[in-house]
Amino acid sequence: MTAGPVTIPRESPAKSPRRRGASRGWWAAAAVVLLPTLIPPLSLLWQLITNGPGALPPTLRLLELFAGTLGLTIAVTATALALGTATAWLTSRTDLPARRWWLIIAALPLVIPSYMAALTIIGATGPSGLLSNWLGFVIPTPFGFVGAWVALSVFLAPLAHLIITPALRLIDPATEEAATGLGAGKLRVFFTVTLPLLRPALVSAGLMAGLYTISDFGAVSLLRFDTFTRAIFTLYAGQLDRRPAATLSLMLMALALLILFVERRTRSRADYHLTSTGRQRRPQHIDGWARLGSFVFLGSYALVSLALPVAVLVFWLTRGLGAGAELGTFWAETGRSVAVSVGAALASAVAAIPIAMITTWRRGRFSDAASGSVWAIYALPHITVGVAVIGFALEWAQPLYQGLALLLLTYVAMFLAQSVSTTQDSLRRASPELEEASRGLGRGPLSTLGRITIPLVAPGMAAGAALVFLSVMKELPATLLLRPTGFETLAIRIWSATGEGFFARASVASLALLGVSIVPLLALTYRDLRN
Amino acid sequence: MPRRLIPLVALAALLVTACGGDEAKGPLTVYSGRSEELVQPLIDDFMEATGIEVEVRYAGSTDLAATLLQEGDATDADVFFAQDPASLGSVAAMLATLPEEILDRVDSRFADSEGRWVGTSGRVRTFIYNTSGTIALPESVDDVTDPRWAGQLGVAPTNGSFLAFVAAMILERGEDATAEWLADLAAVEPQDFPGNSPIVAGTDSGEVQGGLVNHYYLFRLRSEGGGNNAENWFFPAGGVGNLVMPAGAGIIDGTDMTESAQRFVDFLLSTEAQRYFADETFEYPLIEGVEPVAGLPALTDIDAPAIDLSALAGLLDDATRLVTEAGL
Repeated sequence: MTAGPVTIPRESPAKSPRRRGASRGWWAAAAVVLLPTLIPPLSLLWQLITNGPGALPPTLRLLELFAGTLGLTIAVTATALALGTATAWLTSRTDLPARRWWLIIAALPLVIPSYMAALTIIGATGPSGLLSNWLGFVIPTPFGFVGAWVALSVFLAPLAHLIITPALRLIDPATEEAATGLGAGKLRVFFTVTLPLLRPALVSAGLMAGLYTISDFGAVSLLRFDTFTRAIFTLYAGQLDRRPAATLSLMLMALALLILFVERRTRSRADYHLTSTGRQRRPQHIDGWARLGSFVFLGSYALVSLALPVAVLVFWLTRGLGAGAELGTFWAETGRSVAVSVGAALASAVAAIPIAMITTWRRGRFSDAASGSVWAIYALPHITVGVAVIGFALEWAQPLYQGLALLLLTYVAMFLAQSVSTTQDSLRRASPELEEASRGLGRGPLSTLGRITIPLVAPGMAAGAALVFLSVMKELPATLLLRPTGFETLAIRIWSATGEGFFARASVASLALLGVSIVPLLALTYRDLRN
Repeated sequence: MPRRLIPLVALAALLVTACGGDEAKGPLTVYSGRSEELVQPLIDDFMEATGIEVEVRYAGSTDLAATLLQEGDATDADVFFAQDPASLGSVAAMLATLPEEILDRVDSRFADSEGRWVGTSGRVRTFIYNTSGTIALPESVDDVTDPRWAGQLGVAPTNGSFLAFVAAMILERGEDATAEWLADLAAVEPQDFPGNSPIVAGTDSGEVQGGLVNHYYLFRLRSEGGGNNAENWFFPAGGVGNLVMPAGAGIIDGTDMTESAQRFVDFLLSTEAQRYFADETFEYPLIEGVEPVAGLPALTDIDAPAIDLSALAGLLDDATRLVTEAGL
């Protein structure tokens, strides 16, 4: 078999009856797994049909929110992808000294929740900000679009970094070298050969970052930029009539689906199946100004995204301790956070397999619908998901109400997109014929699953589990609404301490959150390093 | 004891145990819109003093009120302990009338007019200002919208306390006058904060020169080592700017733990608990004989408006609408 990306048609030819039987199994499994993701949108639609839309804001304001949300999403996605591609390329394709350390450091900011990112910007800038104090002049706090854009981009870039790094390693150097041999310059090779080959990874990372931006509340509320999600939270917080918030949430979901639709339409017809990882390539040599520039870039990125948040937390902690503030407990909260995060991570890693399967290897009429429902709930504000699930549980599943099982199910539904995405990336690197060959050689479906499919998707499952773990650790709004009474997590602790101005306590809980979140991230980057 | 009586005695003992008080039916569930940081120590004291187990569900007051309405009869809650009268008022139909001996402990203006909830501590709306600032302090809430404050004010338009204050203004002045005041406020382009605590921190740091907040956040910031450049200012001209909004509690009608629930509310109005609110959360105690923390004027010295707090709940949605329409 020759090395290099092999382009195969979207619909695989020659479907044997046996293969169709196996497909039915995957389709049935996918249908079951998709059910929880349908609960919130259907519950919202049901409310809309039975109770009406409620008193909505004027159309002009809706258009404003629409423009704001879309603008922020585009800006954040582009910036996060650019930053993440840059860090991934510098740390895995060059001979930059200590690049392995930089590879880990560039992934770490992913542990920082958006609200912490925003608090950091506020705590570091302004008349008495940490950074202003150090530099000796006042950096104005970038409220509004700029602040939200910076906070979200800087803390979503590691997501792109994590997804693009393994993809970069898989690109066969022969393709790029052929282009160079034909006389193309380095930049031209990068833009005309490397980037198109990275396209699937860029799309995964872009959707994850972009649709997360749509759902984010922490950064836009603290840095005061008006988006749909901020308006939805405000409606939920300020009034008892929940219909307008539900209607706005449906509009937001329509926006997410529109983005997905545009992505589908503009996608090239070919899917890349990288059937060989190619030979080891020689790293790109960087020296002189380029090396210095790379260090300055990576260093300032680490400073802004890692050192600054930790410095602000430590500042609050020491200031509070100096004034005799008590730290309160956080061990039990840490335990609960870890428990639900691990549970949701494992469950979504498994649940992702059938969906990834029917959307990559066994595409069919409903593949796009399956993708759509997974991404739509990912883009919904978490408070909306929480309220919709409460409505569903009270109406149809009373025994599950305020139970741990329902909370876990909701987490899985909300973050399934992440594990589906990484599992799809794994599947794309192999060809569906492998599975067929195994069955052709007389292996049963279970044996094929265990010996071919699972090992193939294992890296994607692991990456997905790590991402879901991180998301659940940070999750607040749905947890507040759905948790069993008394089940306080670290994120809840941080929220309640911050809200009442207990900064020292909030810092300790935040540091615990960061400390725990780093573990799966280190495991993930360690894997990247070994390869 | 004759032998044949033993089964009878055993049966009687069993019956007595089965009917003896409601404490046996499991923990008392409290929905608390008050933060865990503020009230959990007090709840621990209650559990220790009474032996009654309490489970608390913490969330925002409005969120919990909406949750209670959504749950209806299916709710597990026995007590609703909220930040503000508006949240309590919005679920008043689900609350049982409290016994006279509880209601009598508190001035009637800090309780529901029909006795379904009672105030447990007082929170006063106030003006926070940066002490090194040079702008003349406002006489009243109408003076806050004066052009001299342009760009220098912090407000939290989505915050429950701010909305309750707007609702009180609607009650006092009517919708048109309130809309006008909000438009004047928007005209001085105040900076928009997510809550009271960041406004106080922002005023202390000089990011803004003043802001509309509740009185106790300054004391909180001071116990964290900040707050040295800010001070509270109660409007000398009085009026709705000095609104007193009690946090309060009510008992869910139909609970099977009425006795424990009443003991809980009773405990919140005990000298011990009121002392705690005064010293630890820097709020105003509402029973006779307990003084607020040093540095606060007496509650009776604050020129507060006479507002029927029970009516606030019905105006909350209007307040939200007016605030949004004003573009805040």
